[in-house]
Amino acid sequence: MNLIRAELLKLRTTALWWIFAILLVPIYGVALAYNWLTANVMLSSDYADVDTGMIGEADRAVSGLYTSGQFFGILLVVLLSAILVTNEFFHLTATSTFLTTPRRELVILAKMAVSVVIALTVWLVTTVLSLGFAPFALSTMNQPSHIGESFVWQAIGLNALAFVLWGLLGVGTGVLIRSQIGATLTLSVLYVVGAQVLSGIFVLLGTMWNESVLTFRVVVPTLASDLMVSGQQFPDDPPRWVGALIMLAYAAVFSVVGTLITKERDVG
Amino acid sequence: MSRPNYTEISVDRLTKQYAKVRAVDDLSFTVNAGRVTGFLGPNGAGKTTALRMILGLVTPTAGTATIGGVRYVDMPDPIRQVGAVLEASSAHRGRSARNHLRVICRAAGLPDQRADEVLAIVGLNTVGTRKFKGYSLGMKQRLGIAAALLGDPRVLILDEPTNGLDPEGIRWMRDLLKALAAEGRTVLVSSHLLGEMQQLADDVVIIAAGRLIRQGPVSEVLGAAAGVARVRVRTPQPERLATALQEARLEVGGGPDGSLQISGADTAQVGHIAFTAGVELHELIGESADLERAFLDLTAGKAGAR
Repeated sequence: MNLIRAELLKLRTTALWWIFAILLVPIYGVALAYNWLTANVMLSSDYADVDTGMIGEADRAVSGLYTSGQFFGILLVVLLSAILVTNEFFHLTATSTFLTTPRRELVILAKMAVSVVIALTVWLVTTVLSLGFAPFALSTMNQPSHIGESFVWQAIGLNALAFVLWGLLGVGTGVLIRSQIGATLTLSVLYVVGAQVLSGIFVLLGTMWNESVLTFRVVVPTLASDLMVSGQQFPDDPPRWVGALIMLAYAAVFSVVGTLITKERDVG
Repeated sequence: MSRPNYTEISVDRLTKQYAKVRAVDDLSFTVNAGRVTGFLGPNGAGKTTALRMILGLVTPTAGTATIGGVRYVDMPDPIRQVGAVLEASSAHRGRSARNHLRVICRAAGLPDQRADEVLAIVGLNTVGTRKFKGYSLGMKQRLGIAAALLGDPRVLILDEPTNGLDPEGIRWMRDLLKALAAEGRTVLVSSHLLGEMQQLADDVVIIAAGRLIRQGPVSEVLGAAAGVARVRVRTPQPERLATALQEARLEVGGGPDGSLQISGADTAQVGHIAFTAGVELHELIGESADLERAFLDLTAGKAGAR
Protein backbone atom coordinates (compact mmCIF):
# COMPACT_ATOMS: atom_id res chain seq x y z
CA MET A 1 0.00 0.00 0.00
CA ASN A 2 2.86 2.35 0.84
CA LEU A 3 4.38 1.60 -2.54
CA ILE A 4 1.15 2.38 -4.38
CA ARG A 5 0.94 5.69 -2.52
CA ALA A 6 4.56 6.39 -3.48
CA GLU A 7 3.87 5.58 -7.14
CA LEU A 8 0.77 7.79 -7.17
CA LEU A 9 2.83 10.62 -5.71
CA LYS A 10 5.45 10.09 -8.41
CA LEU A 11 2.72 10.43 -11.01
CA ARG A 12 1.21 13.52 -9.43
CA THR A 13 4.49 15.39 -8.94
CA THR A 14 5.56 15.75 -12.55
CA ALA A 15 3.94 17.56 -15.44
CA LEU A 16 3.26 14.38 -17.40
CA TRP A 17 -0.21 13.55 -16.10
CA TRP A 18 -1.77 16.89 -16.85
CA ILE A 19 -0.20 17.00 -20.32
CA PHE A 20 -1.95 13.71 -20.97
CA ALA A 21 -5.14 15.05 -19.35
CA ILE A 22 -5.10 18.10 -21.62
CA LEU A 23 -4.51 15.88 -24.66
CA LEU A 24 -7.55 13.85 -23.72
CA VAL A 25 -9.96 16.77 -24.25
CA PRO A 26 -9.47 17.36 -28.01
CA ILE A 27 -9.07 13.63 -28.55
CA TYR A 28 -12.42 13.01 -26.94
CA GLY A 29 -13.99 15.77 -29.02
CA VAL A 30 -12.73 14.29 -32.27
CA ALA A 31 -13.80 10.78 -31.26
CA LEU A 32 -17.28 11.97 -30.34
CA ALA A 33 -17.66 13.84 -33.62
CA TYR A 34 -16.50 10.78 -35.56
CA ASN A 35 -18.91 8.47 -33.75
CA TRP A 36 -21.69 11.00 -34.20
CA LEU A 37 -21.08 11.01 -37.95
CA THR A 38 -20.91 7.23 -38.07
CA ALA A 39 -24.13 6.96 -36.13
CA ASN A 40 -25.75 9.45 -38.47
CA VAL A 41 -24.97 7.21 -41.43
CA MET A 42 -25.79 3.94 -39.69
CA LEU A 43 -29.02 5.13 -38.18
CA SER A 44 -30.32 6.77 -41.32
CA SER A 45 -33.66 5.30 -42.36
CA ASP A 46 -32.20 2.72 -44.76
CA TYR A 47 -30.18 1.02 -42.11
CA ALA A 48 -32.67 1.46 -39.32
CA ASP A 49 -35.21 -0.62 -41.17
CA VAL A 50 -32.97 -3.66 -41.38
CA ASP A 51 -31.94 -3.48 -37.74
CA THR A 52 -33.04 -6.86 -36.49
CA GLY A 53 -31.50 -7.14 -33.07
CA MET A 54 -28.41 -9.18 -32.07
CA ILE A 55 -25.29 -7.08 -32.55
CA GLY A 56 -26.61 -5.14 -35.47
CA GLU A 57 -24.98 -2.17 -37.11
CA ALA A 58 -27.30 0.22 -35.30
CA ASP A 59 -26.39 -1.17 -31.89
CA ARG A 60 -22.76 -0.93 -32.81
CA ALA A 61 -23.15 2.73 -33.70
CA VAL A 62 -24.98 3.46 -30.46
CA SER A 63 -22.36 1.55 -28.46
CA GLY A 64 -19.69 3.50 -30.28
CA LEU A 65 -21.23 6.77 -29.14
CA TYR A 66 -21.36 5.60 -25.54
CA THR A 67 -17.72 4.49 -25.63
CA SER A 68 -16.39 7.55 -27.45
CA GLY A 69 -12.72 8.23 -26.85
CA GLN A 70 -11.88 4.57 -26.48
CA PHE A 71 -9.37 4.32 -29.30
CA PHE A 72 -7.12 7.24 -28.39
CA GLY A 73 -7.98 7.16 -24.68
CA ILE A 74 -6.54 3.67 -24.50
CA LEU A 75 -3.50 4.85 -26.45
CA LEU A 76 -2.89 7.53 -23.82
CA VAL A 77 -3.34 5.02 -21.00
CA VAL A 78 -1.03 2.45 -22.55
CA LEU A 79 1.69 5.04 -23.16
CA LEU A 80 1.40 6.57 -19.70
CA SER A 81 1.54 3.10 -18.15
CA ALA A 82 4.70 2.23 -20.05
CA ILE A 83 6.27 5.56 -19.09
CA LEU A 84 5.60 4.82 -15.40
CA VAL A 85 8.30 2.19 -15.77
CA THR A 86 10.64 3.61 -18.41
CA ASN A 87 10.81 6.95 -16.58
CA GLU A 88 12.73 5.23 -13.80
CA PHE A 89 15.51 4.40 -16.21
CA PHE A 90 15.25 7.54 -18.33
CA HIS A 91 15.66 9.80 -15.29
CA LEU A 92 17.99 7.42 -13.41
CA THR A 93 15.57 7.20 -10.50
CA ALA A 94 15.66 3.40 -10.59
CA THR A 95 18.63 3.45 -8.19
CA SER A 96 16.71 5.45 -5.61
CA THR A 97 13.56 3.38 -6.11
CA PHE A 98 15.30 0.02 -5.77
CA LEU A 99 17.38 1.19 -2.80
CA THR A 100 14.16 2.07 -1.02
CA THR A 101 12.46 -1.15 -2.12
CA PRO A 102 15.02 -3.86 -2.90
CA ARG A 103 12.19 -6.30 -3.70
CA ARG A 104 11.79 -5.03 -7.23
CA GLU A 105 8.73 -7.12 -8.08
CA LEU A 106 6.75 -5.15 -5.48
CA VAL A 107 7.63 -1.92 -7.28
CA ILE A 108 6.29 -3.32 -10.53
CA LEU A 109 3.10 -4.55 -8.85
CA ALA A 110 2.58 -1.05 -7.42
CA LYS A 111 3.04 0.43 -10.88
CA MET A 112 0.42 -1.98 -12.22
CA ALA A 113 -2.00 -0.85 -9.53
CA VAL A 114 -1.38 2.76 -10.54
CA SER A 115 -1.91 1.93 -14.21
CA VAL A 116 -5.29 0.41 -13.28
CA VAL A 117 -6.13 3.63 -11.43
CA ILE A 118 -5.14 5.67 -14.51
CA ALA A 119 -7.12 3.38 -16.84
CA LEU A 120 -10.27 3.54 -14.74
CA THR A 121 -9.95 7.31 -14.32
CA VAL A 122 -9.74 7.91 -18.07
CA TRP A 123 -12.57 5.42 -18.62
CA LEU A 124 -14.70 7.17 -16.00
CA VAL A 125 -14.10 10.62 -17.45
CA THR A 126 -14.86 9.57 -21.03
CA THR A 127 -17.87 7.52 -19.93
CA VAL A 128 -19.39 10.36 -17.89
CA LEU A 129 -18.92 12.69 -20.87
CA SER A 130 -20.47 10.11 -23.20
CA LEU A 131 -23.45 9.55 -20.93
CA GLY A 132 -24.06 13.27 -21.32
CA PHE A 133 -23.34 13.68 -25.01
CA ALA A 134 -24.56 10.40 -26.53
CA PRO A 135 -28.28 10.81 -25.69
CA PHE A 136 -28.07 14.36 -27.02
CA ALA A 137 -26.39 13.19 -30.22
CA LEU A 138 -29.00 10.47 -30.63
CA SER A 139 -31.85 12.91 -30.03
CA THR A 140 -30.61 15.09 -32.90
CA MET A 141 -31.14 12.04 -35.12
CA ASN A 142 -34.60 11.49 -33.68
CA GLN A 143 -33.35 8.35 -31.96
CA PRO A 144 -34.11 7.18 -28.44
CA SER A 145 -31.16 7.27 -26.01
CA HIS A 146 -31.07 3.46 -25.70
CA ILE A 147 -29.71 4.14 -22.23
CA GLY A 148 -31.92 1.56 -20.59
CA GLU A 149 -30.77 -1.22 -22.87
CA SER A 150 -28.33 -3.88 -21.74
CA PHE A 151 -26.12 -3.77 -24.84
CA VAL A 152 -25.16 -0.17 -24.01
CA TRP A 153 -24.08 -1.07 -20.50
CA GLN A 154 -22.27 -4.14 -21.75
CA ALA A 155 -20.29 -1.93 -24.14
CA ILE A 156 -19.48 0.50 -21.31
CA GLY A 157 -18.36 -2.33 -19.04
CA LEU A 158 -16.21 -3.98 -21.70
CA ASN A 159 -14.76 -0.56 -22.43
CA ALA A 160 -13.55 -0.39 -18.80
CA LEU A 161 -12.03 -3.85 -19.13
CA ALA A 162 -10.23 -2.83 -22.32
CA PHE A 163 -8.77 0.25 -20.62
CA VAL A 164 -7.52 -1.80 -17.66
CA LEU A 165 -6.04 -4.62 -19.73
CA TRP A 166 -4.24 -2.23 -22.06
CA GLY A 167 -2.88 -0.35 -19.04
CA LEU A 168 -1.43 -3.57 -17.66
CA LEU A 169 -0.02 -4.42 -21.07
CA GLY A 170 1.61 -0.97 -21.10
CA VAL A 171 3.35 -1.60 -17.76
CA GLY A 172 4.45 -5.02 -18.97
CA THR A 173 5.91 -3.56 -22.15
CA GLY A 174 7.69 -0.81 -20.21
CA VAL A 175 9.29 -3.42 -17.98
CA LEU A 176 10.33 -5.48 -20.97
CA ILE A 177 11.60 -2.57 -23.09
CA ARG A 178 13.32 -0.20 -20.68
CA SER A 179 14.07 2.43 -23.29
CA GLN A 180 11.51 5.24 -23.07
CA ILE A 181 11.49 5.83 -26.82
CA GLY A 182 11.63 2.12 -27.62
CA ALA A 183 8.66 1.23 -25.44
CA THR A 184 6.41 4.14 -26.45
CA LEU A 185 7.21 3.73 -30.13
CA THR A 186 6.60 -0.02 -30.08
CA LEU A 187 3.27 0.41 -28.33
CA SER A 188 2.12 3.26 -30.57
CA VAL A 189 2.94 1.38 -33.74
CA LEU A 190 1.45 -1.86 -32.46
CA TYR A 191 -1.68 -0.11 -31.30
CA VAL A 192 -2.32 2.30 -34.14
CA VAL A 193 -1.21 0.47 -37.28
CA GLY A 194 -0.50 -3.00 -35.90
CA ALA A 195 -4.11 -4.13 -36.20
CA GLN A 196 -4.42 -3.18 -39.85
CA VAL A 197 -1.05 -4.55 -40.90
CA LEU A 198 -1.36 -7.79 -38.96
CA SER A 199 -4.95 -8.51 -39.97
CA GLY A 200 -3.83 -7.91 -43.54
CA ILE A 201 -1.17 -10.55 -43.07
CA PHE A 202 -3.69 -12.96 -41.61
CA VAL A 203 -6.12 -12.38 -44.49
CA LEU A 204 -3.28 -12.99 -46.93
CA LEU A 205 -2.30 -16.21 -45.14
CA GLY A 206 -5.93 -17.25 -45.06
CA THR A 207 -6.44 -16.87 -48.79
CA MET A 208 -3.10 -18.36 -49.76
CA TRP A 209 -3.08 -21.27 -47.39
CA ASN A 210 -6.05 -22.10 -45.26
CA GLU A 211 -9.14 -20.16 -44.21
CA SER A 212 -8.86 -21.43 -40.65
CA VAL A 213 -5.72 -19.34 -40.13
CA LEU A 214 -8.03 -16.35 -39.89
CA THR A 215 -9.42 -17.63 -36.62
CA PHE A 216 -6.01 -17.22 -35.03
CA ARG A 217 -5.74 -13.54 -35.86
CA VAL A 218 -7.14 -12.82 -32.40
CA VAL A 219 -3.71 -13.54 -30.95
CA VAL A 220 -2.74 -10.03 -32.09
CA PRO A 221 -3.39 -7.87 -29.03
CA THR A 222 -5.24 -5.15 -30.91
CA LEU A 223 -7.53 -7.68 -32.56
CA ALA A 224 -8.07 -9.52 -29.29
CA SER A 225 -9.13 -6.22 -27.79
CA ASP A 226 -11.46 -5.61 -30.76
CA LEU A 227 -13.03 -9.01 -30.32
CA MET A 228 -13.56 -8.38 -26.64
CA VAL A 229 -15.14 -4.95 -27.13
CA SER A 230 -17.08 -5.37 -30.38
CA GLY A 231 -17.83 -9.08 -30.40
CA GLN A 232 -17.62 -11.54 -33.27
CA GLN A 233 -17.27 -10.13 -36.75
CA PHE A 234 -17.31 -13.48 -38.53
CA PRO A 235 -19.52 -16.40 -37.57
CA ASP A 236 -16.60 -18.68 -36.64
CA ASP A 237 -14.77 -16.08 -34.52
CA PRO A 238 -14.18 -17.17 -30.93
CA PRO A 239 -16.41 -15.62 -28.26
CA ARG A 240 -15.61 -12.30 -26.57
CA TRP A 241 -14.07 -13.77 -23.43
CA VAL A 242 -11.32 -15.36 -25.51
CA GLY A 243 -10.26 -11.86 -26.52
CA ALA A 244 -10.19 -10.75 -22.88
CA LEU A 245 -8.19 -13.82 -21.93
CA ILE A 246 -5.64 -13.20 -24.69
CA MET A 247 -5.21 -9.59 -23.53
CA LEU A 248 -4.77 -10.75 -19.95
CA ALA A 249 -2.26 -13.36 -21.07
CA TYR A 250 -0.18 -10.73 -22.87
CA ALA A 251 -0.18 -8.43 -19.86
CA ALA A 252 0.74 -11.32 -17.56
CA VAL A 253 3.50 -12.77 -19.76
CA PHE A 254 5.10 -9.38 -20.46
CA SER A 255 4.98 -8.46 -16.78
CA VAL A 256 6.30 -11.76 -15.46
CA VAL A 257 9.13 -11.99 -17.99
CA GLY A 258 9.94 -8.30 -17.55
CA THR A 259 9.90 -8.61 -13.76
CA LEU A 260 12.19 -11.62 -13.81
CA ILE A 261 14.61 -9.71 -16.02
CA THR A 262 14.36 -6.63 -13.81
CA LYS A 263 15.12 -8.69 -10.72
CA GLU A 264 18.24 -10.15 -12.29
CA ARG A 265 19.53 -7.14 -14.14
CA ASP A 266 22.12 -4.85 -12.57
CA VAL A 267 21.00 -1.29 -11.90
CA GLY A 268 23.26 1.62 -12.71
CA MET B 1 11.63 1.39 19.94
CA SER B 2 13.88 -1.53 19.33
CA ARG B 3 15.16 -2.39 15.93
CA PRO B 4 17.87 -4.68 14.65
CA ASN B 5 21.24 -3.06 14.77
CA TYR B 6 23.08 -3.44 11.51
CA THR B 7 26.43 -1.73 11.75
CA GLU B 8 29.46 -3.62 10.49
CA ILE B 9 29.86 -3.85 6.73
CA SER B 10 31.47 -7.10 5.76
CA VAL B 11 32.63 -7.84 2.23
CA ASP B 12 33.73 -11.42 1.71
CA ARG B 13 35.49 -12.62 -1.44
CA LEU B 14 33.28 -10.40 -3.55
CA THR B 15 33.73 -10.79 -7.32
CA LYS B 16 31.99 -9.23 -10.31
CA GLN B 17 32.85 -10.54 -13.72
CA TYR B 18 31.57 -8.58 -16.70
CA ALA B 19 31.88 -9.84 -20.26
CA LYS B 20 35.43 -8.65 -20.71
CA VAL B 21 36.58 -7.29 -17.40
CA ARG B 22 36.68 -8.50 -13.82
CA ALA B 23 35.55 -5.26 -12.18
CA VAL B 24 35.85 -6.60 -8.64
CA ASP B 25 38.16 -9.50 -7.96
CA ASP B 26 38.00 -11.58 -4.78
CA LEU B 27 37.63 -8.49 -2.61
CA SER B 28 37.33 -8.82 1.17
CA PHE B 29 37.28 -6.11 3.81
CA THR B 30 35.32 -4.95 6.83
CA VAL B 31 34.11 -1.52 7.85
CA ASN B 32 33.55 -0.69 11.51
CA ALA B 33 31.09 1.57 13.27
CA GLY B 34 32.04 4.92 14.77
CA ARG B 35 34.70 5.61 12.16
CA VAL B 36 34.89 7.14 8.74
CA THR B 37 36.33 4.61 6.34
CA GLY B 38 37.74 5.88 3.06
CA PHE B 39 37.29 3.59 0.08
CA LEU B 40 40.11 4.54 -2.22
CA GLY B 41 41.23 3.58 -5.65
CA PRO B 42 42.02 5.09 -9.03
CA ASN B 43 39.18 5.68 -11.46
CA GLY B 44 37.91 2.35 -12.76
CA ALA B 45 39.27 0.40 -9.78
CA GLY B 46 35.85 -1.11 -9.09
CA LYS B 47 34.77 1.10 -6.19
CA THR B 48 31.33 1.91 -7.56
CA THR B 49 30.66 -1.69 -8.59
CA ALA B 50 31.66 -2.91 -5.11
CA LEU B 51 29.40 -0.35 -3.42
CA ARG B 52 26.49 -1.26 -5.70
CA MET B 53 26.95 -4.91 -4.83
CA ILE B 54 26.87 -4.07 -1.10
CA LEU B 55 23.57 -2.28 -1.77
CA GLY B 56 22.01 -5.09 -3.79
CA LEU B 57 21.83 -3.11 -7.03
CA VAL B 58 24.42 -5.25 -8.77
CA THR B 59 24.42 -9.03 -8.36
CA PRO B 60 27.84 -10.43 -7.44
CA THR B 61 29.33 -13.17 -9.61
CA ALA B 62 30.71 -14.68 -6.41
CA GLY B 63 31.13 -13.79 -2.76
CA THR B 64 28.88 -11.94 -0.35
CA ALA B 65 28.43 -8.47 1.03
CA THR B 66 26.51 -8.06 4.28
CA ILE B 67 25.70 -5.30 6.69
CA GLY B 68 25.45 -6.57 10.26
CA GLY B 69 25.40 -10.08 8.83
CA VAL B 70 22.38 -9.44 6.60
CA ARG B 71 22.30 -8.81 2.88
CA TYR B 72 20.84 -5.40 1.98
CA VAL B 73 18.11 -6.97 -0.15
CA ASP B 74 16.99 -9.10 2.81
CA MET B 75 16.46 -6.16 5.16
CA PRO B 76 12.78 -5.48 5.86
CA ASP B 77 13.37 -1.73 6.22
CA PRO B 78 16.65 -1.05 4.39
CA ILE B 79 16.55 2.73 4.30
CA ARG B 80 16.10 2.90 8.08
CA GLN B 81 19.32 0.87 8.37
CA VAL B 82 21.49 2.06 5.52
CA GLY B 83 21.61 5.42 3.78
CA ALA B 84 23.29 5.55 0.41
CA VAL B 85 24.44 8.33 -1.89
CA LEU B 86 25.21 7.02 -5.34
CA GLU B 87 25.02 9.15 -8.44
CA ALA B 88 24.15 12.81 -7.99
CA SER B 89 21.76 12.93 -10.92
CA SER B 90 19.25 10.40 -9.68
CA ALA B 91 16.04 12.37 -9.45
CA HIS B 92 13.37 13.23 -12.01
CA ARG B 93 14.26 16.58 -13.60
CA GLY B 94 10.73 17.87 -13.43
CA ARG B 95 10.07 16.97 -9.80
CA SER B 96 10.86 19.20 -6.84
CA ALA B 97 13.50 18.09 -4.36
CA ARG B 98 10.91 17.99 -1.60
CA ASN B 99 8.59 15.77 -3.60
CA HIS B 100 11.51 13.54 -4.57
CA LEU B 101 12.15 12.96 -0.86
CA ARG B 102 8.44 12.54 -0.12
CA VAL B 103 8.18 9.76 -2.67
CA ILE B 104 10.90 7.88 -0.76
CA CYS B 105 9.11 8.62 2.54
CA ARG B 106 5.87 7.16 1.20
CA ALA B 107 7.55 4.02 -0.12
CA ALA B 108 9.43 3.48 3.14
CA GLY B 109 6.48 4.32 5.40
CA LEU B 110 8.19 7.39 6.86
CA PRO B 111 6.19 10.52 7.71
CA ASP B 112 6.23 13.24 5.03
CA GLN B 113 7.74 15.74 7.46
CA ARG B 114 11.02 13.79 7.41
CA ALA B 115 11.55 15.30 3.95
CA ASP B 116 11.54 18.81 5.41
CA GLU B 117 13.72 17.76 8.33
CA VAL B 118 16.49 16.35 6.17
CA LEU B 119 16.29 19.30 3.77
CA ALA B 120 17.03 21.51 6.76
CA ILE B 121 19.94 19.31 7.83
CA VAL B 122 21.64 19.71 4.44
CA GLY B 123 20.73 23.40 4.12
CA LEU B 124 18.31 23.07 1.20
CA ASN B 125 15.14 23.99 3.11
CA THR B 126 14.75 27.30 1.27
CA VAL B 127 15.00 25.69 -2.18
CA GLY B 128 13.11 22.45 -1.49
CA THR B 129 10.21 23.32 -3.78
CA ARG B 130 12.51 24.12 -6.69
CA LYS B 131 12.58 21.55 -9.49
CA PHE B 132 15.54 19.21 -9.65
CA LYS B 133 16.63 20.49 -13.06
CA GLY B 134 17.30 23.89 -11.45
CA TYR B 135 19.77 22.40 -8.99
CA SER B 136 23.53 22.89 -9.21
CA LEU B 137 25.79 19.86 -8.90
CA GLY B 138 26.58 20.84 -5.33
CA MET B 139 22.88 21.07 -4.48
CA LYS B 140 22.29 17.67 -6.06
CA GLN B 141 24.98 16.19 -3.82
CA ARG B 142 23.32 17.75 -0.79
CA LEU B 143 19.99 16.35 -1.90
CA GLY B 144 21.61 12.93 -2.22
CA ILE B 145 22.82 13.22 1.38
CA ALA B 146 19.34 14.34 2.45
CA ALA B 147 17.80 11.24 0.86
CA ALA B 148 20.38 9.03 2.61
CA LEU B 149 19.51 10.57 5.98
CA LEU B 150 15.72 10.13 5.63
CA GLY B 151 15.59 6.88 7.58
CA ASP B 152 18.09 8.06 10.25
CA PRO B 153 20.28 5.05 9.36
CA ARG B 154 23.14 3.57 11.38
CA VAL B 155 25.19 2.98 8.24
CA LEU B 156 26.04 5.46 5.49
CA ILE B 157 27.55 4.51 2.16
CA LEU B 158 28.62 7.33 -0.13
CA ASP B 159 30.10 7.11 -3.61
CA GLU B 160 32.28 10.14 -4.41
CA PRO B 161 30.04 12.54 -2.47
CA THR B 162 32.40 15.49 -2.81
CA ASN B 163 32.30 15.47 -6.62
CA GLY B 164 31.18 18.85 -7.83
CA LEU B 165 31.33 20.50 -4.42
CA ASP B 166 33.16 23.78 -3.92
CA PRO B 167 35.77 24.03 -1.12
CA GLU B 168 33.16 25.29 1.31
CA GLY B 169 30.88 22.39 0.38
CA ILE B 170 33.70 19.89 0.79
CA ARG B 171 34.38 21.20 4.28
CA TRP B 172 30.69 21.00 5.10
CA MET B 173 30.58 17.39 3.91
CA ARG B 174 33.70 16.52 5.89
CA ASP B 175 32.28 17.98 9.09
CA LEU B 176 28.94 16.26 8.55
CA LEU B 177 30.46 12.82 7.92
CA LYS B 178 32.79 13.15 10.90
CA ALA B 179 29.87 14.17 13.11
CA LEU B 180 27.82 11.20 11.88
CA ALA B 181 30.68 8.81 12.64
CA ALA B 182 31.15 10.41 16.05
CA GLU B 183 27.52 9.49 16.81
CA GLY B 184 28.57 5.87 16.40
CA ARG B 185 27.43 5.41 12.82
CA THR B 186 29.34 3.46 10.20
CA VAL B 187 30.49 5.72 7.36
CA LEU B 188 31.98 4.28 4.17
CA VAL B 189 32.93 6.91 1.64
CA SER B 190 34.63 6.32 -1.68
CA SER B 191 36.92 8.79 -3.36
CA HIS B 192 39.81 9.11 -5.72
CA LEU B 193 40.73 12.43 -4.10
CA LEU B 194 43.35 11.40 -1.64
CA GLY B 195 44.12 14.68 0.04
CA GLU B 196 40.45 14.85 0.92
CA MET B 197 40.52 11.37 2.50
CA GLN B 198 43.59 12.16 4.54
CA GLN B 199 41.64 14.88 6.30
CA LEU B 200 38.45 12.85 6.63
CA ALA B 201 39.05 9.14 7.05
CA ASP B 202 40.03 7.18 10.14
CA ASP B 203 40.48 3.96 8.21
CA VAL B 204 41.17 3.32 4.56
CA VAL B 205 40.46 0.47 2.20
CA ILE B 206 42.59 0.81 -0.92
CA ILE B 207 41.76 -1.13 -4.07
CA ALA B 208 43.15 -1.18 -7.59
CA ALA B 209 42.07 -3.27 -10.56
CA GLY B 210 39.28 -4.70 -8.42
CA ARG B 211 41.65 -6.16 -5.84
CA LEU B 212 42.35 -5.15 -2.27
CA ILE B 213 45.71 -3.43 -1.92
CA ARG B 214 45.61 -2.56 1.75
CA GLN B 215 43.22 -1.97 4.61
CA GLY B 216 43.77 -0.38 7.99
CA PRO B 217 43.86 2.84 9.98
CA VAL B 218 45.19 5.77 7.94
CA SER B 219 48.26 6.12 10.17
CA GLU B 220 49.20 2.47 9.81
CA VAL B 221 48.76 2.39 6.06
CA LEU B 222 50.84 5.53 5.78
CA GLY B 223 53.59 4.19 8.03
CA ALA B 224 53.81 0.88 6.24
CA ALA B 225 53.57 2.13 2.73
CA ALA B 226 55.26 5.47 2.68
CA GLY B 227 57.79 4.02 5.10
CA VAL B 228 60.65 6.42 4.92
CA ALA B 229 60.14 10.07 5.59
CA ARG B 230 61.80 12.71 3.43
CA VAL B 231 63.70 15.83 4.36
CA ARG B 232 64.28 18.85 2.17
CA VAL B 233 67.18 21.24 2.85
CA ARG B 234 68.40 24.43 1.26
CA THR B 235 72.03 25.37 1.56
CA PRO B 236 74.56 27.62 -0.22
CA GLN B 237 76.98 24.63 -0.26
CA PRO B 238 74.92 21.79 -1.76
CA GLU B 239 77.86 19.70 -3.03
CA ARG B 240 79.56 19.62 0.35
CA LEU B 241 76.36 18.62 2.13
CA ALA B 242 75.55 15.98 -0.47
CA THR B 243 78.97 14.38 0.02
CA ALA B 244 78.57 14.39 3.80
CA LEU B 245 75.09 12.83 3.53
CA GLN B 246 76.24 10.16 1.11
CA GLU B 247 79.07 9.28 3.50
CA ALA B 248 76.34 8.69 6.08
CA ARG B 249 74.74 6.30 3.56
CA LEU B 250 71.70 8.46 2.92
CA GLU B 251 70.01 8.79 -0.43
CA VAL B 252 70.30 12.32 -1.78
CA GLY B 253 68.45 13.82 -4.68
CA GLY B 254 68.20 17.31 -6.11
CA GLY B 255 65.04 19.31 -5.88
CA PRO B 256 63.83 21.45 -8.78
CA ASP B 257 64.65 24.69 -6.95
CA GLY B 258 68.26 23.77 -6.09
CA SER B 259 67.35 22.23 -2.74
CA LEU B 260 68.39 18.72 -1.69
CA GLN B 261 65.97 15.93 -0.88
CA ILE B 262 67.04 13.22 1.50
CA SER B 263 65.09 10.05 2.14
CA GLY B 264 65.54 7.67 5.04
CA ALA B 265 66.37 10.31 7.61
CA ASP B 266 64.58 12.81 9.79
CA THR B 267 65.34 16.50 10.22
CA ALA B 268 67.41 15.93 13.38
CA GLN B 269 69.79 13.52 11.62
CA VAL B 270 70.20 15.78 8.58
CA GLY B 271 70.74 18.83 10.83
CA HIS B 272 73.39 16.97 12.80
CA ILE B 273 75.27 15.83 9.68
CA ALA B 274 75.24 19.37 8.32
CA PHE B 275 76.49 20.74 11.63
CA THR B 276 79.40 18.27 11.88
CA ALA B 277 80.32 18.94 8.23
CA GLY B 278 80.25 22.68 8.93
CA VAL B 279 77.60 23.36 6.25
CA GLU B 280 75.39 26.38 6.56
CA LEU B 281 71.63 25.61 6.27
CA HIS B 282 68.98 28.08 5.12
CA GLU B 283 66.03 25.76 5.27
CA LEU B 284 65.38 22.34 6.81
CA ILE B 285 61.93 20.83 6.24
CA GLY B 286 60.61 17.41 7.19
CA GLU B 287 58.01 16.15 4.75
CA SER B 288 55.64 13.76 6.44
CA ALA B 289 54.52 10.78 4.43
CA ASP B 290 51.23 11.55 2.78
CA LEU B 291 48.41 9.33 1.71
CA GLU B 292 48.70 10.42 -1.86
CA ARG B 293 52.26 9.19 -2.20
CA ALA B 294 51.45 6.01 -0.33
CA PHE B 295 48.50 5.49 -2.59
CA LEU B 296 50.45 6.06 -5.76
CA ASP B 297 53.22 3.76 -4.54
CA LEU B 298 50.71 1.07 -3.66
CA THR B 299 48.66 1.20 -6.79
CA ALA B 300 51.51 1.86 -9.21
CA GLY B 301 51.31 -0.45 -12.17
CA LYS B 302 48.18 -2.15 -10.89
CA ALA B 303 45.57 0.13 -12.35
CA GLY B 304 46.41 -0.64 -15.93
CA ALA B 305 44.26 0.70 -18.70
CA ARG B 306 40.76 0.06 -17.41
